[in-house]
Amino acid sequence: MDKSTIICRCEEISYEEIEDVLTNGATTFDDLKRLTRCGMGPCQSKICHSLVADMIHEKTNTPYFQIPLPRMRMPLSPIKLETLATNSTSFSSVKSVMDEVELEDGKVR
Amino acid sequence: MHIQQHPVLGGQLQKPVTIYFNDQPYKAYEQQTVAAALMANDIKRLGLSRNLVQPRGLFCTRGRCCSCYMTVNGEDHVRTCMVKVEEGMKIYPNDEDPDVRREFCGD
Amino acid sequence: METDILIIGAGPAGLAAAFETASKGLDVTIVDESLTMGGQLNQQTQVIPSLPSSFQSMRGFEWAAHLTNQLKEYDIRYLLSHRVIGFYKDGSVGITDEQEVFAVKAKKIIVATGAAENAVAFPKWTLPGVMTIGAAQTLINRDFVQPGKEAVIVGSSDFALDAALQLSEVGVHVKGFIEKNAGILSRDLEKIEQVKKIGIPIHLDSFIKEARGIGAVEEIDIQIGTRVFTEKVDLVCVDGGRSPILDIFYQLGCSFGYQKELGGWVPQYNHQFQTDREDIFLAGNAAGISTQGVLLVTGMLAGINACEAVGAITKTIADEEKDFLWKELEILETKYNPTIWEARNRHMENFAYPVIKEQFLS
Repeated sequence: MDKSTIICRCEEISYEEIEDVLTNGATTFDDLKRLTRCGMGPCQSKICHSLVADMIHEKTNTPYFQIPLPRMRMPLSPIKLETLATNSTSFSSVKSVMDEVELEDGKVR
Repeated sequence: MHIQQHPVLGGQLQKPVTIYFNDQPYKAYEQQTVAAALMANDIKRLGLSRNLVQPRGLFCTRGRCCSCYMTVNGEDHVRTCMVKVEEGMKIYPNDEDPDVRREFCGD
Repeated sequence: METDILIIGAGPAGLAAAFETASKGLDVTIVDESLTMGGQLNQQTQVIPSLPSSFQSMRGFEWAAHLTNQLKEYDIRYLLSHRVIGFYKDGSVGITDEQEVFAVKAKKIIVATGAAENAVAFPKWTLPGVMTIGAAQTLINRDFVQPGKEAVIVGSSDFALDAALQLSEVGVHVKGFIEKNAGILSRDLEKIEQVKKIGIPIHLDSFIKEARGIGAVEEIDIQIGTRVFTEKVDLVCVDGGRSPILDIFYQLGCSFGYQKELGGWVPQYNHQFQTDREDIFLAGNAAGISTQGVLLVTGMLAGINACEAVGAITKTIADEEKDFLWKELEILETKYNPTIWEARNRHMENFAYPVIKEQFLS
């Protein structure tokens, strides 16, 4: 494949950039994320994960069953912070962030 | 192009609405999503990529790829394949990172 | 909000599970991101060939309507245009209507999130006008929009053939299939014949070398062996196959097993369609990519197992219904693709020896 081909649409990471990291010892999708930001854009690797698995398979001769899935974090799809923070009393991590925000007349100061 | 007569489903497009893309009016139909309605009007470039500044458009229609992000009625980064058109909707392309909006409180 | 059974996904599997659980008197809640029930069936205008014996043959959208209608007499809570964004520590599900996030506590959850299309990459595949075959099908059959005038299809699965035929019917000139393998992937001889009849060439051992265009795709270079030729197109539909949608299982801490024939990584599950979290069942393409009839039967099985688990039906009744459905499942799955049935059985046998969870920690 042409090396300039984009693999990660969101962060615009090319075949060459991923190949480079794989030849330098990366073995998992999470390695690639940390080194290139591949899969860390708004789609959170929903589109590129199979392309990346193919590359890991080809470049490192790893069988597919040994290529772990990328980590899938909450929130599972894009959401407004404003929406995420509603009813946050039972959801401590958002609440802790929101508690640090100083409000004035209900608006962020 | 709108499909007025579908080979299996027949005429399904009934309620037209007007939407505005870059302040220009376009015809859409009520059951269409924003991205689909724009495509019917031959508008395929919905935004630009952040880094290489390359055109982006509808890709998955399932709300997964985020390629169809646009600014709709003042809200940025709306997945336009998941939102239906509404009369008078104002749509702008997702061409650059939006400014952080901040309401100033007096000082 | 509390409910007996929460079903995530309102496609054929989710709706079948809803029928099984609601008809046994359970309190059922269905959540789906889209506005309509039926999932991807809604834009399938082709006749679905693989329905269970008790169904007459129908088109995808007709079947979606049928599955929706059979739920009418039950008091089911529908959370349409809602999506699951994660899970709370106590196991309740975080659901948003885009205005706020609220928790739903369910006794059992049936995850029927379906499949996602895999991408195919080539230089400038990011150009507008390049989309998945599912996207093209959605545009023509749900939004009634013609996505282009001249198209090529990358791939040659049943699904790709359907998309090409439907695009042709609405007036798109489909200029060819571009298949990287040496043979056509579809096993549906009738459909292949149909495609050939309307004169769509199928290029084997071929791929898109490059796409070009200003603002949208305008032309592509197709390489077949050492020969390269240029085709003017404004629509490129890519079919990279499909894989189960796993993010919800991942969030729940379920373990996974790899089965190529089922679409790659699949949540581990046993004969009860139960994951290694005993309150979580699964159904449909999320349990392995298969034909539509199979999705329905897995939904029914998951529903009956969930009913049994909460004590809504006795083991005797459940076993009787399940015996019948497993036979049906075997017939349907072996009829169209016996390797999927074998992979499914292998996968379920592996349940006792799950892939180490630690491999997912990093």
